[in-house]
Amino acid sequence: MTEANKNIRLEALRKGDSSVLETIYKSNRSTFLNFAHGFGINHEDALDIYQDTIIAFRENVISGKLTELKCAPSTYLCAIGKYKIFQLLRRQKPNSLDGKVIVEETNEVLDVNLFEEEYTNKVEMIGEQLKKLSNRCREILTLFYYEGYTLDEIAAILDYSNKLVLKSQKSRCLKQLKDSIL
Amino acid sequence: MKKEDLIEKYFTSTLSPEERILFDKLLQNDQEFKDEFVFQKELKQSIAHQQRETIKKTLKGFEDKLSKKKVFTLKNWLAAASVLLVFSLGYFAFNKYNSSKPEKLFTSNFVPYENVVHPTVRSNDESIESRAFSAYDSGMYYKAINLFNSVENKDADYIRFYKAMSFLALKKNHEAIDLLLPLATTPDASPSKFKWYAKANWYLGLAYLNNQEIDRAISQFNVVVNHPDCDYKKEAAKDLISRIKSD
Repeated sequence: MTEANKNIRLEALRKGDSSVLETIYKSNRSTFLNFAHGFGINHEDALDIYQDTIIAFRENVISGKLTELKCAPSTYLCAIGKYKIFQLLRRQKPNSLDGKVIVEETNEVLDVNLFEEEYTNKVEMIGEQLKKLSNRCREILTLFYYEGYTLDEIAAILDYSNKLVLKSQKSRCLKQLKDSIL
Repeated sequence: MKKEDLIEKYFTSTLSPEERILFDKLLQNDQEFKDEFVFQKELKQSIAHQQRETIKKTLKGFEDKLSKKKVFTLKNWLAAASVLLVFSLGYFAFNKYNSSKPEKLFTSNFVPYENVVHPTVRSNDESIESRAFSAYDSGMYYKAINLFNSVENKDADYIRFYKAMSFLALKKNHEAIDLLLPLATTPDASPSKFKWYAKANWYLGLAYLNNQEIDRAISQFNVVVNHPDCDYKKEAAKDLISRIKSD
């Protein structure tokens, strides 16, 4: 595969193209599962970790932490996955690994985003209220806060005549959400 | 540059080095700016959480497609048969409490306790506590919980009680149970506890009921029925016990 090809696929992954997601999922699955089984992780947990890993991988592409692939996708997936595997092992058998190993093993290859921010009550509440917003509001907020698009890009995607109209719409959505919480 | 634009640029990672300095300064010195930023950050987390769940479902769909292709071996048949067996056993064991019945009983009996602490009459009272009760009165329970969490005496019995009401109205049974338990245990000499005792037991019973913990629910309702000097909800509790048991 040429460099250009690889990056086109990353761009499609960023855009949430489901067929690219499926291709990546299928083509790295057995490598990853073997890797996880090597740590004594059972099949079900390994699948769960693999799926979370794919999500984290895509988030790294979105956030721009990963703009081009210097090695095979499975290398990145295993690097992210390894961290998640250690986390699981630490939970299951707290004494089986000493902390030193974990630190050394995880700082390689990637500055990975592992989505481990604390999921607080407040975040949950916001989530509940989010569901009550209009589809349009949720669309705008998701594109901005999760998919990493700028307001100019969102205005183009959602067919707004200009950025300012979108911007005030976004402020209204935020205000509506805030009023329902505090 | 407007503060709002700085925050926007933060989230699209387009702050210039100078803007970044300004951003950090505001974050330290401007409470309003900080609140707005923290809110948007929590929003981001919340959206991320929901999006991840959605994508995970898609990935599980891929996985299901893959495993369906596999040949159905004897091992799979046995696994399927044992799952079926467990299901049917479970069905017979729990059929007695038709799964939706406790919930129905809960819904027909639960009314959030009237706000007797802070009647929303005076509009000039802007304390957190009165705003909390006013949110409670208008059924904005998330808002109420948030405000109850910020009042100064948030561990006071009556705050706990109304916070529990708010959780219960949102069907968050576990949170409600945790808050009600201390109020529903045998009252000591303190009269303030005594005031909430029967009510806490009634609502704790309802919380257990909604949580499908039938035996615990019944024992709480019995406390209400047997309360020596309080007629609160006695008849309702008696009625509820007999309806739970009849089936």
